[in-house]
Amino acid sequence: MLTSEHAIIEYRAGRATPDRLTQNAHRHYVDYAERMLAIYQEGAGRQRRWLHRDIEAVFADEPDCPVRRIQAFCKLLDDASTFQSDPSGKSAKLRLDVFSRAARLHPLVCQPDRLFEHEEQASKTQIAEELGTPWDQIEQALYADVMAFQTLEGFAGYPNAAAFLSRYNVAQLQAALYRAESMTVTAGEDLKTIVRYAKFARLLHEIARAGISTYRIRFTGPASVVRETRRYGVNFARFLPALLACKGWKMEATLQTPWKARAKLVVSADDGFTSHLPPAQEFDSALEESFAKKFGPARDGWQLIREGRILCDRQKTFIPDFTFRHEDGTEVLLEIVGFWTPEYLAGKRETLHQFRRERILLAVPQRSLREGAAIGENIVTYKTAIQIPPLMEALEAARSKRPAVASQ
Amino acid sequence: MTDSTLQSQVSLSFNRGTLLLTGLDRGQLPTEPDGPVWMWDARVGAWRCDAIHYASARTILGRRFGSRFHDAVLVPDHVGWAKTDLPAPRPEQQEALDAWLRGGRRGQVIMPTGTGKTEVAFAVMAETKVATLIVAPVRDLMYQWHRRILATFGYDAGIVGDNLFNIKPVTVTTYDSAYIHMGEMGAGFGLLIFDEEHHLPGKCRREAAILSTAPMRLGLTATPERSDDLHKDLDWLIGPVLYRMPFREAKGSTLADFDVVRIPVALNDREQATYDECSRMLRHFIASRRKELPGYSWQDLCKESGKDPRARHAQRAYYLKQSIEDRAAEKLRVLEDIFRLHYGQQTLIFAGSNAMAIEVSKRFLVPTILSHTRKRERLAVLDAFTKGQITVLVANRVLDEGVDVPEAKVAVVIGGQGSTRQATQRLGRVLRRSGRIRATLYEVVCEDTKEVERSRKRRRTDAYERTRHYRV
Repeated sequence: MLTSEHAIIEYRAGRATPDRLTQNAHRHYVDYAERMLAIYQEGAGRQRRWLHRDIEAVFADEPDCPVRRIQAFCKLLDDASTFQSDPSGKSAKLRLDVFSRAARLHPLVCQPDRLFEHEEQASKTQIAEELGTPWDQIEQALYADVMAFQTLEGFAGYPNAAAFLSRYNVAQLQAALYRAESMTVTAGEDLKTIVRYAKFARLLHEIARAGISTYRIRFTGPASVVRETRRYGVNFARFLPALLACKGWKMEATLQTPWKARAKLVVSADDGFTSHLPPAQEFDSALEESFAKKFGPARDGWQLIREGRILCDRQKTFIPDFTFRHEDGTEVLLEIVGFWTPEYLAGKRETLHQFRRERILLAVPQRSLREGAAIGENIVTYKTAIQIPPLMEALEAARSKRPAVASQ
Repeated sequence: MTDSTLQSQVSLSFNRGTLLLTGLDRGQLPTEPDGPVWMWDARVGAWRCDAIHYASARTILGRRFGSRFHDAVLVPDHVGWAKTDLPAPRPEQQEALDAWLRGGRRGQVIMPTGTGKTEVAFAVMAETKVATLIVAPVRDLMYQWHRRILATFGYDAGIVGDNLFNIKPVTVTTYDSAYIHMGEMGAGFGLLIFDEEHHLPGKCRREAAILSTAPMRLGLTATPERSDDLHKDLDWLIGPVLYRMPFREAKGSTLADFDVVRIPVALNDREQATYDECSRMLRHFIASRRKELPGYSWQDLCKESGKDPRARHAQRAYYLKQSIEDRAAEKLRVLEDIFRLHYGQQTLIFAGSNAMAIEVSKRFLVPTILSHTRKRERLAVLDAFTKGQITVLVANRVLDEGVDVPEAKVAVVIGGQGSTRQATQRLGRVLRRSGRIRATLYEVVCEDTKEVERSRKRRRTDAYERTRHYRV
């Protein structure tokens, strides 16, 4: 990730536009990217400062290239590299050794006289002899651990020039989000994944229905309700790649501008940013996918609707994996429990209690029941995959029962 | 209000840098005119306010709800010191301590560098005996606090920062780490100490104060003023100024007298040629732009540098000029003279950049303390310097503030910024009380370049009053 010192954002008429290299305006950047990747691919053994100087030289005559863009390229290249790090502090030990030897000779002068007789070069040669290493090697190693002087060991790189440039675009988008106070995502299809990953990024959410199967989720952090803060900007930035991997969403973030004004950053799935994460379906549960195939679109009067509804009450959001709708209008929600730690199941039980007005079935791996974590009724167990007959039974049982009425 | 809500508990808890108040509905405002501002948080169905208001919130809620009020915020640990190895306080240190205790244990103490701010903090800690978080500007200072707490109280404090996260009842940290982690560690400390508190009011860093429940707060600095006026916010982030010792009082009594010697250096022919070439290029470019845009400024140039290679070249010329001034070869020659003149005396050198610091180090084979210098080397170098095993130490801006470097009698500034604070802090390093030898501060600046201007600006400040200025 970049730092805010790399961010290039244009503010105009209340809109914030992070720097983005496009196919039309920056076609020639593909060539630059190839040259940059080559510099690092062939750069093993070279110092960081020379690598950076070469990257800068690539753009010497390019009219359209802010300094920050060059620095951002360097950062992204460095991020994919390993540099000699000197973890055992060899340079530091050498320094202490050399400097304590030199302390006896201080000051090293250019023109020795009777008072100060230690000439610079002669003294350095003397220390080199004491250490048994030529002086220019000692001088090379003396500050080899300083960032700028570190040498490149390996470069994992990017798949190709286009991938490198698209990573740059995403990185600028993330850097813009460091300034964000809040983020609102409108989504349908991949909502479950979006909310889940926002939680991983430690964001709080408020969900409101925005259409038949679309919802509007506002993400903020705890202190956001008390005052406007950029504190959670890093969390938004971390969450972004997961969002980019999803489908059918629109995002609007409120940024603080450097002039203490507000600006909107608007991005949607149609903008063509590419995440380095795989598509949402792939990193979501494979179990759900296989089950949907097995069940088919309809069976015995029940119709299967994938992620049709969302239940929300404060920070508890229940996004069932499947909704089953019977011909008579009854809806039963099915949540597949993949994990089975006792804490997780306890949390699920609480959720079920909170939404006890709904008909909810849980599919639980059999192992977890043997752990002794009973979680009440409406449970379908499975070993490796959910079987259809026990499920149909449970669906019918749920249909015949009236949902619990709130007790308060 | 219904019966059930009358009986239900009103519970206060800490949540990631804020206070959550549960047990009241949206319609039941916990707000009181002089109390904290509570906001209804619909996301969780509770009232919320910043953790900084903990002390007053607790008092008001306790008064209002009596036994219904439950305070679930972590109670700070009591700290029983194994030993308290503090010298008898000097009169002004005692005054500072008394003022802080009388002033509600929440406020700022302003004392010049070298007059024992740390001792005041230790006196406060010895008195309060409560879990304490100390926030310092940089890693060096954080480790220095750690070291001195160990020496004074025999307590091995926790460290949050420098890739360590080890919270103990007494913990040291940096402003940057405090900003990042205060949401998690904001509860459980009874006392916050902000060393060099003028770092706190920045837009982000201030959250270190806002996200903590600690009722007692102490801010320490020699130079509270900030050019952006944000230091006024310290009044509520920490508390009011409770003690201020004027700089004049310090001089001559606890601090050594000192001379300021300015040594102008000239660029050599090669440097001068490049310098002039850069100046010409820069002037040309700006003049040509001004024909079209009369008010064309440096800011405009920077903006254009992304679109126009000529502007970018001009920008690079400017930085090259700066770097030539910073690293003029003549400065190394002058340093040699100073080393000859002050042979055997502890000498500190402040370089304007890492590159210059390393250049000096490689030329004279003297150690450096730079921002990336690791703990072990840092300690070894400072220790050798203290013992006089080495007599010269080169630093970049890291040693600007508060780092103890005892008994340096000679300081040399070879580049750096002209701001008031840096001048005072740097002087403080040389001025620590020790013996009767007059301290000397050298400023080695390039002649006929902007560096001379900065040196004049430095000398105007209070810190330089009543010193002797002369050219060599």
